[in-house]
Amino acid sequence: MLDAEKLAASEEAAARWQADYDRMAERFGGHKERTTHSGIPVKPAYFAHDVPAGAQTEAPGTYPFTRGNLAAQYQFMTWANQPVIGYGLPEQTRERMDLLSEQGMVGYFGQRFYNLVYDLVSHEGLDPDDPAARGRIGQCGMAVYSVRDMERLFAGLDPTQMNVIHITYYQVIPALAQYIAYAEKLGLTPDQLRGNSMNWYHQSAYVGMSAFPPGAGHKLAVELISFCAKRMPRWNTTNLFAYGVEEAGGTATQEIGLMLACGIDLVRSCMEAGLQPDEFLPRFGFQIAQANDFFEEICKIRAMRRIWATTMHERFGAQDPRSMHVRIHTHTSGAVLTAQQPQVNLIRATLHTLGAALAGTQAMEVSAYDEALAIPTEEAATLALRTQQVIQEETNITAVSDPLAGSYYVEALTDQVAAKALELVARIEELGGYTAAQETDWIRSEVEESARRWRDEVDSGERRVVGVNCYAVDEEPATPTFRVDESVEQIAVERIHELRATRDQARYDDAIGRFAEAAEAFAAKETAELGDGALLDAAIDAARAEASTGEMMGVLKKALGWRAPHVF
Amino acid sequence: MIRVLLTKPTHDCHDRGVRYLAKRFRDEGFEVVFTNFLLPAEIVATAVQEDVEVIGISSGSGGHMPVFEELVPALHAEGLDDVTIIAGGNIPPADAERLTELGVAGVFGPGSDPDAAVELVRRLRSAPASR
Repeated sequence: MLDAEKLAASEEAAARWQADYDRMAERFGGHKERTTHSGIPVKPAYFAHDVPAGAQTEAPGTYPFTRGNLAAQYQFMTWANQPVIGYGLPEQTRERMDLLSEQGMVGYFGQRFYNLVYDLVSHEGLDPDDPAARGRIGQCGMAVYSVRDMERLFAGLDPTQMNVIHITYYQVIPALAQYIAYAEKLGLTPDQLRGNSMNWYHQSAYVGMSAFPPGAGHKLAVELISFCAKRMPRWNTTNLFAYGVEEAGGTATQEIGLMLACGIDLVRSCMEAGLQPDEFLPRFGFQIAQANDFFEEICKIRAMRRIWATTMHERFGAQDPRSMHVRIHTHTSGAVLTAQQPQVNLIRATLHTLGAALAGTQAMEVSAYDEALAIPTEEAATLALRTQQVIQEETNITAVSDPLAGSYYVEALTDQVAAKALELVARIEELGGYTAAQETDWIRSEVEESARRWRDEVDSGERRVVGVNCYAVDEEPATPTFRVDESVEQIAVERIHELRATRDQARYDDAIGRFAEAAEAFAAKETAELGDGALLDAAIDAARAEASTGEMMGVLKKALGWRAPHVF
Repeated sequence: MIRVLLTKPTHDCHDRGVRYLAKRFRDEGFEVVFTNFLLPAEIVATAVQEDVEVIGISSGSGGHMPVFEELVPALHAEGLDDVTIIAGGNIPPADAERLTELGVAGVFGPGSDPDAAVELVRRLRSAPASR
């Protein structure tokens, strides 16, 4: 709090400034109201008395963690470079993993990190020989559908010395089960494995891929959290997918408000299933966008750290600081990149990267400049990595924790973003919680309204997009784009046929039958009955018996339902 | 009233653009049917059932070429020779050329003006003589 003398001086400075500003505004045709992307009004200048009282005494690494999870930000360990990798056959994905590792892609303390995305066929829960797989095998991800494919992908690597982030859609359980079964063949147990499952069924609230019904997805998420809390203590169980909110058109306050509401729903159900918050919250992570509104995007991160910590501590009684931390994987926005003048995207992504670094992220993926055109080329992927490296190595911003703290504007806006996000959380709680609001499509319609507003503003020219509605050029030189080798499709189909022909069929039949029974039993369970591990155990056994992703997902779809998530 | 089927693959997470266009088309007075599809045959079945004049397919994650390559002959086989096909989403320029050869009337990639899509549909479908 400012003392009376400083308050009076600050207010006097503001009054003098206001008079000067008003005179200029009159000369230039009057003041025009400006807002952030979330619609928060922004003043033309901020003063000491705009800084909320609490902000003046908070330290980095102390509750409520607005200023960062830890006392040190990047002084001893910078953020991890985590490009998303995955295309074509497992061997091709491996080549790019090795290339980027050689180029300096490292995780914390030099540990290997692989952020691996599965292909569209796997995402749909199909195998490559399904008629619907044609044209999609190895596209936007790697063609990995079985333990054998994992052997092709990871050959020679030591799972205990690396983090593997499995970017699935809803084939979360088959992918984890196959990874565990693969590791067992190397003599490893699940508790030795490090990595992440996405466990993000909640994203079907705002993303249009086919999905399990919201209630079933929520139960699957709780079951996996419970399994890992008991048996895989080093495994990160849950990725709260704020990024998808932004990509679907949501604003900064919607992004963090929806993820806090989702977190509340998950914590409630996990506690109902018998877990204590400190047993599972430390293994939650957040994938958050960094988009165009430079300061609001930074304040969004600071606000999220604060409201997550206060909610988990005050409402659910979390005591371990790690239960209150928002561990962030930043993904710079893809939605604001343009197909027009694609190299300009390098500049946009650089600004996003800088903002995320100033906000104090833990790990980052920078969108490649050609992402609006196709899968990134090697050159574009390397430049995206270099963007992070230039900021880490050359700008000296890693010297100071939370360097924007104390900025009148940043502190005031952090408070406003937090308040607006909490209003959204309260509204969702009134509707019965996140999963209930998802069931009725309320979440989708809120996000879609923001998308519509943004698009209308671009079309009217009110929102300027360089190269699209201003500074456009007529003829554009062709940008070389990446193509997945056409033989991938044929090879992946041959491999799945070979798998079915050569595996121990009796063992497979038995294991898949027991997985189906476990799935039926799971479908009938109430939240309080979750957490016995039976579903995961049966899934791991099916993976050991060489069940494919499509076969395992077929079982889950049949037991739980599967549908396009949104009506129009 | 012009009846339009807008559809996207179930595999594909990107639906912001096509759902925006669906709203725009509806605001323009078109009757819009919106679906997800797994197989091109599902598009044909919906087009027949809903008696649409225009089919718009959105693809943001690749894999679109086989869809169009199967769809065009399948529409002909059902006698739907006069249906206007448009495409949108993340379609590389070389693919866009091939789609035009296949008879796709317009390809609306990222950043396209939605008015251009509205105008194309109106121009091709409004005058009764052209039907």
